[in-house]
Amino acid sequence: MLHALILQAHPEALPINPIARWEWVFPIVEAIHICGFTLLVGSIVILDLRLLGVTLRGQPVSRIARELAPWIWAGLAFQLTTGPFLFSGDPHEYVQVAAFRNKMLFFALALIFHFTVIRAATRTSADSAPLGWRRPAALVSLGLWFCVLLAGLWIGNL
Amino acid sequence: MWFTTFCEWLSETQFSHHLREAPYDFPVLIIVHIITIAMFGAMVAIGNLRVLGRAMPSVPVSQLIAAFRPWKWIAFAILLVSGTLLAASDPMEYGFNIMFWISNALLLIAGINSLIFRNGVYRSVAEWDTSEEVPPGARRWAAVSLVLWIVLVFAGRAIAFF
Repeated sequence: MLHALILQAHPEALPINPIARWEWVFPIVEAIHICGFTLLVGSIVILDLRLLGVTLRGQPVSRIARELAPWIWAGLAFQLTTGPFLFSGDPHEYVQVAAFRNKMLFFALALIFHFTVIRAATRTSADSAPLGWRRPAALVSLGLWFCVLLAGLWIGNL
Repeated sequence: MWFTTFCEWLSETQFSHHLREAPYDFPVLIIVHIITIAMFGAMVAIGNLRVLGRAMPSVPVSQLIAAFRPWKWIAFAILLVSGTLLAASDPMEYGFNIMFWISNALLLIAGINSLIFRNGVYRSVAEWDTSEEVPPGARRWAAVSLVLWIVLVFAGRAIAFF
């Protein structure tokens, strides 16, 4: 109540960060965050499904990886912009939420796994070899990204 | 009005009560629904970007669309079932939520859009299958589809705010 009165007398006291200042900013940035998730994780899922040998079998793995890469990077750019923006609205609250910390952990693990193991699995020199170990690697990647989404949904208590 | 009567009846059924009150039903349904949307959306996005000449240029258009088709149908079936159950969990809420109906209308328009694409310009796909230069007619449908799906994400998320 007092807070509202102060704001009325001193509108300049409103938070500078738009996400804390206007309540309609959050859902819009969040929707962009969901589109970015679809682009980033969706492209990775398509690549993982190819590594499992269940889609686009007529195309070499390395080519699928190379041609999806720009969209994986674009999705990552979206997420690294919208994510911290959403976080900045209430950082003290987020760091205390277990689901948020789990999401960051799984996000880091999933990215590291993608740029090490999955990258190695999509080398041109591996194209003629049987899928072998790359199938379980694709399953691990799918599992890690699933955990990122699950923890992310949990932040808002669904 | 018959619709209000229907929603009232549905929300009083044991089935709807169960979906609404059981601790895990709703969260599990939401998770399944959103994961499937991400899966479906990614294939829609990459497919449309291919037609626009912006993604996976060396994969023929028809090969990409054919590879995604079974996955999209599976995803669509899951979305239909989980979406219906989510709506049935609280008909008095969703049945009268404007964003719920806008989302469904957008979904219908997106469906009609892809049917027109498939039965129209896509019939001549053999002529531009491996080309990065897709005819403007096809590109237009792909651009419309992409925009519709992005608006659908916004409208779908907004259901929770109305």
